[in-house]
Amino acid sequence: MMSGGDIWLTIAGLTLVTIVTRNAFLVLGHKVALPERVQHALRYAPACALAALIVPEVVLISGTPVLDFSNPKLVASVIAVATLLLTRRAVAAIALGMLAFTLIRLL
Amino acid sequence: MTWRPVFGTDPTVAAVRREAFLRGARAAGPALVATSIWGLVTGVAMIKTGLTTAQALAMTLFVYAGSAQMAALPLIAADAPVWVVLLTATVVNLRFVIFSATLWTYFGRLSLARRLMLGYLTADIGLALFMSRYGNAPDDRRGNTEQVWYLLGTCGATWLSWQPMSIIGILLAGLIPGQWGLEFAAILALLAITVPMFQGRPAVAGCLTAGVVAVLAAALPLKLGLLVAVIAGVSVAMAADVLLERNTEGRAP
Repeated sequence: MMSGGDIWLTIAGLTLVTIVTRNAFLVLGHKVALPERVQHALRYAPACALAALIVPEVVLISGTPVLDFSNPKLVASVIAVATLLLTRRAVAAIALGMLAFTLIRLL
Repeated sequence: MTWRPVFGTDPTVAAVRREAFLRGARAAGPALVATSIWGLVTGVAMIKTGLTTAQALAMTLFVYAGSAQMAALPLIAADAPVWVVLLTATVVNLRFVIFSATLWTYFGRLSLARRLMLGYLTADIGLALFMSRYGNAPDDRRGNTEQVWYLLGTCGATWLSWQPMSIIGILLAGLIPGQWGLEFAAILALLAITVPMFQGRPAVAGCLTAGVVAVLAAALPLKLGLLVAVIAGVSVAMAADVLLERNTEGRAP
C-alpha cells in the first residue's frame, strides 16, 4: 500500500491528467493536427492498457497463473464477459460476475 | 419554474436553453442506472483499497474519471511508483484526447472558461449521446446554443447520477465486510468498460497481446510490466491495422 503522502500526490496528479486529456484539443484547437496513424494508436491504447491491467488481476493468484476452475476470479470474469457479449448490459455482467465469484469462494 | 440563475434572464433564450438541457437529461435517462451503480461500486472500491474518506472524496470530485480511478486502485494497493500510476491513467484517458478534438469542431468558438467546464463534464456516455444526435450537423450549424445545452444536459445528468452515489459508496463502504471481496467488483467494472472496445480485429489482437504480456511480465519491478504490455499491445494493433489495410487494397478492383 502507498503511503498517505503518495496517495495525495497521486490524486493531485490524476486531477491534472483528467484536465489535460479532456481539454487537450478543446483548448489548443486544431493548431496541432493529428496524423491518422496517431489517431489509430490513441484509439487502441486505452483498451490495451485496460486489458494489461485486468488480465493479471484475474489470472494471477499470489504471483502464479491459475488457468482452471479453481480460480474464482477467472470463472467470474468469463461469466461477466459472456453476459456482456450476450446482453450488452454492464450492470448485469458485474452482478452475475460477483455472484459467481462469491458462490465459488463459499463452496 | 424559471431557474433564472441557470438559464439566464432573457425569456426566449432561457426557453431554448432549458428545453435543450432537459432533452439531453432525458436522453441520458436509461444510462443513469448504470452510471449510478458504477459510481457506487467506485466509491466502495476506493475505500476497500485503503483510501481514507477524505482521499476518496477528493478523488471522486476532482478526478471524475471512473476508468482511470479504477485503474489506479490496484496500483495504489501494490505501492507502485506515483509516475507509473499517472502514466497508466493517462493512457486509459487517451480516448478523451480524441473526444476533445471532436468537441472542438463544435465548441471551439466558446470562451476558454466554458470550454474548460465542458471538458471537465464530458464523460463517455454524455459525448456518445451528443454525437448520436448532432454527429451529422453541418459545419455552419455546429456549436449553437441548443447543442451546448443538450451536451450540458446529457453530461450534467451523468455527473448528478455519479457523484452522489459515489459519495454514498464512500460513506457506507465501512459497513460492508471485507471478506465480501467487493474490490473485485472494480475489476469486473473495468472489464465491462473494456469489452465494448473490442471493435475490429486490430483492437482484439492488441488487447490479447497486452493481456498475455502483462501476465508474463508481472514479476518486473515497479509494475513496469504494465507499460511493457501496453506498448506491445498497441504495436500489435498498429501492425494488424497496416496488414489489414494492405490486404483490402490488394483485393480492391
